[in-house]
Amino acid sequence: MFNPLDHKGIPLDDQIRNWRELNVEPIDPEAVDPYTRCRIIAMNGIEAEAIMFSHQFARNCGDDDVKRQLAYTRYLESQQQRVVNWLLPGQASVLETTLGYEQVAVDLTAWVARHEPEPYLRQAYEFGVLEDFDHLYRYANLYEMVERRKAEKIVDGLTEVMPGRPTVQEHRHPFDEVRTPYDKDLVDPRSKLHALTILAAEQQVMVYYMNVGPQYMEPIARQLYQEISLIEQEHVTHYESLVDPGESWWERLLTHEYTECWLYWSFMEQESDPRVKAIWELHLQMELAHLQSAADLFRRHEGREPEEIVGGSGLPEPLTFEPNKEYLRHLLATQMDLNKLGEGYVREAHERFEWMQQQLHAGEQPPSEQVIEQHRERFGDEYRIETEGPHPVESLRAKEGGRSA
Amino acid sequence: MPDKVPANDAIDLLLAQHARIEELFVLVAGSAGDTRREAFDDLVRLLSVHETAEEELVHPLSRTLPDSDALVDDRLAEEREAKETLRTLVDGGVDAPGFDAGLLLLRTAVLTHARYEERYEFPRLRAHVPAGRLRGLADAVRAAEAFAPTRPHPGTESAAANLALGPVLAVADRVRDAIRDASS
Ligand SMILES: [Fe+2]
Ligand SMILES: [Fe+2]
Ligand SMILES: [Fe+2]
Ligand SMILES: [Fe+2]
Ligand SMILES: [Fe+2]
Repeated sequence: MFNPLDHKGIPLDDQIRNWRELNVEPIDPEAVDPYTRCRIIAMNGIEAEAIMFSHQFARNCGDDDVKRQLAYTRYLESQQQRVVNWLLPGQASVLETTLGYEQVAVDLTAWVARHEPEPYLRQAYEFGVLEDFDHLYRYANLYEMVERRKAEKIVDGLTEVMPGRPTVQEHRHPFDEVRTPYDKDLVDPRSKLHALTILAAEQQVMVYYMNVGPQYMEPIARQLYQEISLIEQEHVTHYESLVDPGESWWERLLTHEYTECWLYWSFMEQESDPRVKAIWELHLQMELAHLQSAADLFRRHEGREPEEIVGGSGLPEPLTFEPNKEYLRHLLATQMDLNKLGEGYVREAHERFEWMQQQLHAGEQPPSEQVIEQHRERFGDEYRIETEGPHPVESLRAKEGGRSA
Repeated sequence: MPDKVPANDAIDLLLAQHARIEELFVLVAGSAGDTRREAFDDLVRLLSVHETAEEELVHPLSRTLPDSDALVDDRLAEEREAKETLRTLVDGGVDAPGFDAGLLLLRTAVLTHARYEERYEFPRLRAHVPAGRLRGLADAVRAAEAFAPTRPHPGTESAAANLALGPVLAVADRVRDAIRDASS
């Protein structure tokens, strides 16, 4: 396998881009491979995490030389983020990008769950993915109400649109969101990459929703963004708590750069749009140099070899955007009614959960329920895309006249 | 479907037309032969109905709001430009060399124009024009829609019904009359 530690990449001094290079041509607003959009959204989340992580590191670092080095690489990460996110076309609406975000959350998390070697961590992804799956369905109904368009235009039959674990049930006491971390010294290096990838993606979703929500005038849109952004914040708590807090800053920097290499390399392999592929290729070459500098810092400050952290055998199997319909249906059929208590998973509605539900809902229907009800009132049905047959959970099948694309 | 949707206002109907226009562009781009000819015919007719409705109803209403002239002028300029591209495409027909490139150009122009309306014009109308007024205008948009193509999937019906309505670009005048009747 490709081992990024063996490559030098583009020298850091050659990485600053000018305005012309930053001004990338966006992807086509209509004729686009939905998974190209997903790769862009996922990489944007990773780059945003690279930037925010580096800021946090700098605030906790007393060495001015290191701070300058971090500032320089952070500037490069910033330019990468601008290039990646600016690939999204201006004609896309906020809600269309939102549908893309949830499609990412669904198919990225499902892939990671399928490839996670550690059962305890896999359970965490399987649990979370059913919640974003439900968000996709709620937003798809909002989309048709507000923009009169169909989510099919965005997800294009690759991802089904139907209820997951109902969003109303996702609001639980924050205590119960905190998981047990993996042990950095025992865990498979793949698990570190998985956790960081999903954490970065969910964090980006949270930040996006909490900022774009108030741009809507339609009350139901404003309220739905408020509700789902609160869940996304809980998802960040859920996933970030999987990461061992004992990892040093140097170690974390190394894992960040290594994860970026893994993802650009993965996406480069599978990208269908040649122009976007060229960007993944270029960014991989840049990340290789970031990784070298992180590895040097790690060696210098910890007196250890980077292979001890990320493994010596090169990158794992490429992360792939692909349909996960059967897997998701299996999860729906088996884990729909799962809840969390303490650091574990339970099936019964426990006291702390009920307490939280009461505080928040206060006897009213949350926006995620209202949006479906309003859609049924206006269109006579709800919006779903069930390509593989009726919903695996009988109680969640469309009542009357559910259109299936 | 419109009957099932209670209390649609004029903007809801125009949004639904934007969605149909987008779908027709996809259909034209991805089809060939008669299917393509009919889909393009439908597209031209729907664009004509749609832009006429906006010029007659929406943009004048926007002008009544403060500081809106520049915004409306920009939208009208976009519509004029799109019409010229459209005319070239109609004159040449779907088999003309350069049709695909022209279609892509037109599509990008129309999509961008539609998003400008959705981002800057429609929200202002919803914020400042009484809801009842916008609902009232829906009737005039519906009157215009009577001239829009009705076949759900172009190619499944004969083009005779549409031909009976006359050459596609001339439809604008009849739409205008219908709108004026409906709103007087
Ligand atoms: Fe980066
Ligand atoms: Fe989500
Ligand atoms: Fe999420
Ligand atoms: Fe990096
Ligand atoms: Fe329009």
